[in-house]
Amino acid sequence: MDFDFSPLIDSWRFLASGLGMTLLLSVTAVLCSFALGLAVGLGRLYGPVWLRVPLVFYIDSMRAIPVFVVLVWIYFSVPILTGRSFAPFWAALAGITLHVAAYVAEVIRAGISSIRKGQVQAGLALGMSRTQIIRDILLPQAVVRMLPAFGSIISVTIKDTAIAAVIAVPELMRQAETLAGETYRPIEIFSTIMVVYFLVIFPVTRLIDWFYGRVAHLGRS
Amino acid sequence: MKLDWSIVWQSRWLLFDGALVTIALTALTMIIAVPGGIVLALMRGSRFRAVALFATGFVELFRNLPLLLLVYWAFYVLPVLTDVSLSPFTTGLTALCLNVSAYNSETFRSGINSIRKGQTEAGLAIGMSRVQVFRQIVLPQAWRRVLPILASTWVSLFKDTSLVSVIAVGELAHTAMQIRSQSFRVLEMLTAMGAIYWLMGYPQAKLTDWIHRRYGVRE
Repeated sequence: MDFDFSPLIDSWRFLASGLGMTLLLSVTAVLCSFALGLAVGLGRLYGPVWLRVPLVFYIDSMRAIPVFVVLVWIYFSVPILTGRSFAPFWAALAGITLHVAAYVAEVIRAGISSIRKGQVQAGLALGMSRTQIIRDILLPQAVVRMLPAFGSIISVTIKDTAIAAVIAVPELMRQAETLAGETYRPIEIFSTIMVVYFLVIFPVTRLIDWFYGRVAHLGRS
Repeated sequence: MKLDWSIVWQSRWLLFDGALVTIALTALTMIIAVPGGIVLALMRGSRFRAVALFATGFVELFRNLPLLLLVYWAFYVLPVLTDVSLSPFTTGLTALCLNVSAYNSETFRSGINSIRKGQTEAGLAIGMSRVQVFRQIVLPQAWRRVLPILASTWVSLFKDTSLVSVIAVGELAHTAMQIRSQSFRVLEMLTAMGAIYWLMGYPQAKLTDWIHRRYGVRE
């Protein structure tokens, strides 16, 4: 068995563009799902019943359906329903965001619920409004407690972007597949891509763990 | 737009078989990956540095890779490494086991570490053997912390089995995608696929919540 890494050297720009797309998709998906997840999480905690019931249903459904299925459904079915087609990137962003936001919402709910009730009562007794209590008392502590869970959500999101290859988003996984098909060197290419993904995901999780270690005391009460 | 939902009913037995393969993959992976996780967790605590280092490397590598990449990698690399051609099912199973064993090992490790050292020392001080301490003091407590996380891992795994469809394992996602491309009933088949996953996954997610409430440890 002999290895030939020359396709990787010849086509490094092709793969690098894939890495760029992976990073772009990861960053936008993380930002969008945190924004949506925050809204859903708060809506589920403090919203009226007619809002809470569908939100719980949405969160639990996303926990039951694979991302792969969500992505494929959006990419192939939405154009049929609306009569309008869109770039695979947007389908991937929408699918990953819908999926990850449900997990973000759960983490936010668990984080806020973990703060003792007495603190809310103390705030109310002092004459603070609900918004003030959430903003000034609950969130600052809860955010610190949520950090480890957010870290794993970010790493899951980066890993999920690889699934976008299935709907032909030209990210790292897809570019690797294409190159492997053209050069018949799948072992060299996929093994190299493994190292690249590891070098992206591992430091991100480690960085968040390290940061949490430094600020963990701020979340204790 | 004309929809024809009869295709879903016509292909009910194919979809049923696909769902069975999905369940078989999930169950088999867990059956292999729970002992696999225990072995890895024990290896990480080993006195021999090389063994501990190997286990740490294994866990960190397979925890920090996209599963889809692992599936492709297993598909192309395993036949070369082992010199036998494996069925897509076995290949998919291998990729899932590598991934889930790494996750489980972290679950077991943190479960065991969460039991304070003082308890082990107390057990040893009253003359219990290391095995006795582990079986009678650590394990019964650690189990309650491990079980809810294993349940969550089970649900993630159930969903992740859809990814082995890319190497043509005939599970639910692959079956539905095949019927879609043969019948051109795209919207109907994809919606049916989502609905079947939902019907199977929703009770599992709810059961997981119940296990968390019932067995979860509150600090």
